[in-house]
Amino acid sequence: MQITMSSAAGLQVAKLEGRLDTATAPQAETTLLPAIAAPGLVLDLTAVRYVSSAGLRLLLKLAKEAKGKGAKFALAGLQPAVREVFEISGFDKIIPAFATLDEATAG
Amino acid sequence: MTATLSLHLPPTTDSVTALLEALEAFTDEHELPIKAASRLMLLAEELAANVVMHGTGATFFQADLALEGGVLRFSLTDDGPAFDPLAADEADTEAALEDREVGGLGVHFVRKLASSAAYSRQGDKNHLALTLDAAAE
Repeated sequence: MQITMSSAAGLQVAKLEGRLDTATAPQAETTLLPAIAAPGLVLDLTAVRYVSSAGLRLLLKLAKEAKGKGAKFALAGLQPAVREVFEISGFDKIIPAFATLDEATAG
Repeated sequence: MTATLSLHLPPTTDSVTALLEALEAFTDEHELPIKAASRLMLLAEELAANVVMHGTGATFFQADLALEGGVLRFSLTDDGPAFDPLAADEADTEAALEDREVGGLGVHFVRKLASSAAYSRQGDKNHLALTLDAAAE
């Protein structure tokens, strides 16, 4: 799991690459949890081909942290297999997800 | 023709990674569509993580995979105490963010994504067998 931090439209952007699973979620959490702050953080998942429930657990934790801090939290670029997991788990109803990074930072 | 994969691993987080790497290599080699590959990896990880993370006392888990006639047959065997993951409570996927927990998603994924799932206790081992559509795109 590679994580590259940048910023766009005043928000922090974390670009994730690889698998977000049991093995990589703890390491990703160490980087991403402290990055949650107003105005907000967008995760670019364009290069993530696989998310397991360990990855979903991290997304939920980040979303709750953002809500507690009054920060925006959104996802961008979910690949079809990732989107399927996201929808089946009902996460599409609780975490905003956008097709592109531009939409996520604007939305 | 049947293509198969079999792994016998200690119950550690590294083994879950090794399993995922092996499954990814298998699905690449046999050119499975990404959604079929992703579903297989997701379910395999859920089931293996059940054995590994909950410190059940299992001394190993064994993963077996066969691809035949457009169907993936995956099974996981371990020597932990009798445990049927299919009998676990399902997550409430309608809950609001504040109330949402991530427990129970594994069994939810199995029910939604596998074509069939069956648990059996075989001697002193747990055996969970899944079938998946190998053509899911």
